[in-house]
Amino acid sequence: MSDSKGTVPLMINGKRTDGREVEDLRNLRIEVGIIPEADGSAYVEWGGNKIVCGVYGPRECIPRHDASPYHSIVKCRYMMSPFASLEEHSRSGPSRRSTELSKVIREVFENVVIAEKFPNTQIDIYIDVLQADGGTRTASITAATVALANAGIPMKDMVASVAVGKAGDTLVLDLNKAEDNFGQSDMPMAMSQKDKKLLLLQMDGLLTKEEVIEMVGMAERGCEKVNAIQTSALKRFYEKGEDETVKW
Amino acid sequence: MDRKIVLPGEKIADGRINAPNTFSDGTATYAAVIGMMDEENRYVPLENRYKPVVGDVVVGMVTDVRHAGYEVDLNLPEGGFIPTRDIRLTLQLGDFVICKIKSVNEVGDVDLGEVRRLPKGKIIEFPSAKVPRLIGRKSSMLNLLKDYSGGEIMVGNNGYVWMSERCDMPLLLKTIKVIERKAHKSGLTDEIANMLKQEKGERPQTVQGEEYV
Repeated sequence: MSDSKGTVPLMINGKRTDGREVEDLRNLRIEVGIIPEADGSAYVEWGGNKIVCGVYGPRECIPRHDASPYHSIVKCRYMMSPFASLEEHSRSGPSRRSTELSKVIREVFENVVIAEKFPNTQIDIYIDVLQADGGTRTASITAATVALANAGIPMKDMVASVAVGKAGDTLVLDLNKAEDNFGQSDMPMAMSQKDKKLLLLQMDGLLTKEEVIEMVGMAERGCEKVNAIQTSALKRFYEKGEDETVKW
Repeated sequence: MDRKIVLPGEKIADGRINAPNTFSDGTATYAAVIGMMDEENRYVPLENRYKPVVGDVVVGMVTDVRHAGYEVDLNLPEGGFIPTRDIRLTLQLGDFVICKIKSVNEVGDVDLGEVRRLPKGKIIEFPSAKVPRLIGRKSSMLNLLKDYSGGEIMVGNNGYVWMSERCDMPLLLKTIKVIERKAHKSGLTDEIANMLKQEKGERPQTVQGEEYV
């Protein structure tokens, strides 16, 4: 779209608007255990995204008629703060968009959480987007996985997530806001890391079959990079107590 | 360091091993929660949610008094239950109790027995995965804490720790925080002993229990 209308060029000399190569991720930083009151928590800074995630549970299921005697219910609430980005989100609270994102994130974790161990309970995942810069759903899934691991909720697998898209007629990994809004296509994906199962796949725009196949491969490589950062963040947190000198 | 952190989904052994916080696909066993491999290459969970087991000793607080019995907060999704007909003492809302788990049904409802009421004190939450470290080998750590704080301490498998009001609370809370943070370290009891010795030397000696008598 950018090229046909002659607006913003998204690819210049093989580089992207923020100077990245096609398969480069934006800077990703993950902190574990930042909310002491929550059972598990994580903070993610991914490019311009700033996301806090808190996990509670398994705890009593409210309302009671949602509870199942066979497994725990996973609940997810994704919310964007009113100041998260420049234009669209003038007020907080549930919207069409946040309801959709809550649903897709919940479905990702329903596939990995071993819920059968906790009948009649619920597991709450709260995600707050403080600042948005394209790809908040992938960043949210990345944060929620780390928070669930920090909460000690049994999981079959770690999940990493990244978006692949088409901007300036080129397939690119990890779209920023400009590429997301003005690019030709956007395909966020989430993958479990042991089984390499695709747990989330959404698509916006037009793509050919060959492009989709290539993009899934790109996402797999991207998710491995994301997972490496998740792993190192968790290891850093759990090895911290070792050498630390204790101050009274 | 030989300690290796394992993440959920990471392989911990070949073949099927029946251990808590793991799962198996038939050919191998995988970790379900974050944990570490100890010196003997066994998997030790670092975080977990307490799962009630018959025979466990648990500490809790009475949260509801009903005709048929008492509801007890045990740091579980649902409270435990003490049937009135099984006990002779009368409990009140807010009482601290230590009891044994008598039965757990398939949806996790807990029935309690062998109830003892605890005197005035305070309950704090401690990660249940790290409770063995707070007790130590043959209660070594617990005895150490009791000696230095000058009061009684009860640790429940559910992660609730009761301490009597006679305890030196600031010292105890600080020490427990350190144990929680360094739970995976070897030689922890000696380290804590040294720390407490230092601490007691620097602080004015307090005579415990005097003001309460």
